[in-house]
Amino acid sequence: MTLKLLKEDGLKKLIEALNKADTRVVGPKRNKAGMVTYDDVNADTELELDEVIGRYSPKDAFFPQHETVMRYKLDGKDVHVKAETPVIKETVLLGVRPCDAAAMISLNKVFTWDYVDTLFTERQKKATIISLACNNADESCFCTSVGFAPDGTEGSDILLKKIKSGGYLAELITKEGEAFATTHKSIFENAPAKADTVAIAEPTKLDIDIDRIKSWLDDKEKSWEHPLWEQLAAKCVGCGGCTFVCPTCHCFDIVDEPYGDQGKRVKNWDGCQFDHFTLHASGHNPREHQPQRWRNRFSCKFKIYPDRFEKKGCVGCGRCIRVCPVNLDITEAMTEITQIAK
Amino acid sequence: MHNLYVPHLMTIEDVTEEAPDVKTFHLVFKDEKMRENFEFETGQFGEYSAFGHGECTFCIASASSRKGFIQCTFRRSGKVTDALYNLEIGDTIGFRGPYGNTFDLEAMKGKNLVFVAGGIGLPPLRSLILTVLDNREDYGDITIVYGARTVKDLVYKDQLKHWAERKDVKMVTAVDPGGETDDWTGKVGFVPTVLEETAPSSGNSMAVVCGPPVMIKFSLQSLEKLGFSRSDVITTLENRMKCGFGKCGRCNVGNIYVCKDGPVFTAEEVAAMPNDF
Repeated sequence: MTLKLLKEDGLKKLIEALNKADTRVVGPKRNKAGMVTYDDVNADTELELDEVIGRYSPKDAFFPQHETVMRYKLDGKDVHVKAETPVIKETVLLGVRPCDAAAMISLNKVFTWDYVDTLFTERQKKATIISLACNNADESCFCTSVGFAPDGTEGSDILLKKIKSGGYLAELITKEGEAFATTHKSIFENAPAKADTVAIAEPTKLDIDIDRIKSWLDDKEKSWEHPLWEQLAAKCVGCGGCTFVCPTCHCFDIVDEPYGDQGKRVKNWDGCQFDHFTLHASGHNPREHQPQRWRNRFSCKFKIYPDRFEKKGCVGCGRCIRVCPVNLDITEAMTEITQIAK
Repeated sequence: MHNLYVPHLMTIEDVTEEAPDVKTFHLVFKDEKMRENFEFETGQFGEYSAFGHGECTFCIASASSRKGFIQCTFRRSGKVTDALYNLEIGDTIGFRGPYGNTFDLEAMKGKNLVFVAGGIGLPPLRSLILTVLDNREDYGDITIVYGARTVKDLVYKDQLKHWAERKDVKMVTAVDPGGETDDWTGKVGFVPTVLEETAPSSGNSMAVVCGPPVMIKFSLQSLEKLGFSRSDVITTLENRMKCGFGKCGRCNVGNIYVCKDGPVFTAEEVAAMPNDF
């Protein structure tokens, strides 16, 4: 792995160069509501790099919350359809966290198994992920409990580590990362033999064992009807916030939006916590009650993703915990199952 | 850049009113190349769109051995099916597919086949029955047990008559108690009961079951009583779907994707699934 140095003004210069090259830069930025989210950035002064993590995940850059997939026009008995071909710019995700970079790999598995969703992959192909190692974790972070690390490299092309005296040490992880640094070689300078980087955040929530959780979920007789699901869901209001902020949640709806005799078909994020999500036209609903929906979300993270996509469905970003209006904490369930499954 | 979500356009060439709120569309691709090259295998499904309203999931109800068109049969029961129901001959619909796995015709060759269907559960089996009948000599005895709530609710009435007339098919048609009319000559009783009365042999046989969840549940029990092993009983599952190709995340039963791993499963596979359908 090659190490490079970004001096104190490195990010400023980098964003200027990217702006000049008409490259889209997405990074942590404070929105009008005062929340840090991931949005288009035009200057380094907009970046909120000290925020532990953005409120929403940056998955929106590859998997927009609302995405037109095609347009149609009615013409008597005929219909004309046109595939939507979005203009996808070269994109740099700058200053996202290692957990979010890892989540993109998991999402990729969903969008590419067997059928390839090019609306996702084209965006991903055109993106360089420059993540920033975490120096602080908050009480909701738990990446180390699910096999990731505050300075993990999975999914990142380049990983930045803050240097105490200013600037960043840049680890070039992938070939794409190497090529990116070469393109911007005046900014990615040779690293000094030794750089004094700021300490990486300490591991959190050590009483969780995801292998044990997985084997408990695998044992349908033990886990499927366990009273834990009722307990967890008793508080849940079914708002689905957890699914929207989650970097690995991939569910969506497909709806038509008509305007007179024409309209568009749109992919919209959806979530398994909503009561209508699995509702059949007949009125039958396989997941009629919140405990069933909670069980699905939990199983999706710790069983379905590993079983079907050989990837982790949870990267421990903690957003679902921070966003929950009734303070439901998935790590409490994980800790409890770790105990039950002993 | 291939966009998975763009449907093919099809013309509704014919409409059959099967039963109250149930119609069959005879559909032909507008594009000549699609018309010539489109292939599917029996058991597969598609996403049918009424433009401006959305998409709906139905099986392809026609035979895979007959080319150039597809048929689908659906009940009007929601926003999109209502919009589709109101379309007429000559109108255009969208189609994406075929998706999903298929009935294993190879495994059925040389076997006696028992088809068990209830209500709107006959369309998925119709594709298979027609395909099998197009290659009749490849199979042993064929028994079809089909029931609906009332006489009116039976679908494919002409086809049922035709199958009943064939000497190489044992056709048993039934309606639920109270659903019979004065001139009804078929059986009166629930499908699982009628199936047990018909008592097809389980020797060198396979059974294929489709219908409402309750009917499937009790028919599987009846087949077990008749000596069918779970691996010789096939059924199709339905769950709400949007994409049809394993991305939108709503049809899963535990870690099984109905759209990709199904919709066709053996009773053995279904028994191993968690109760999530």
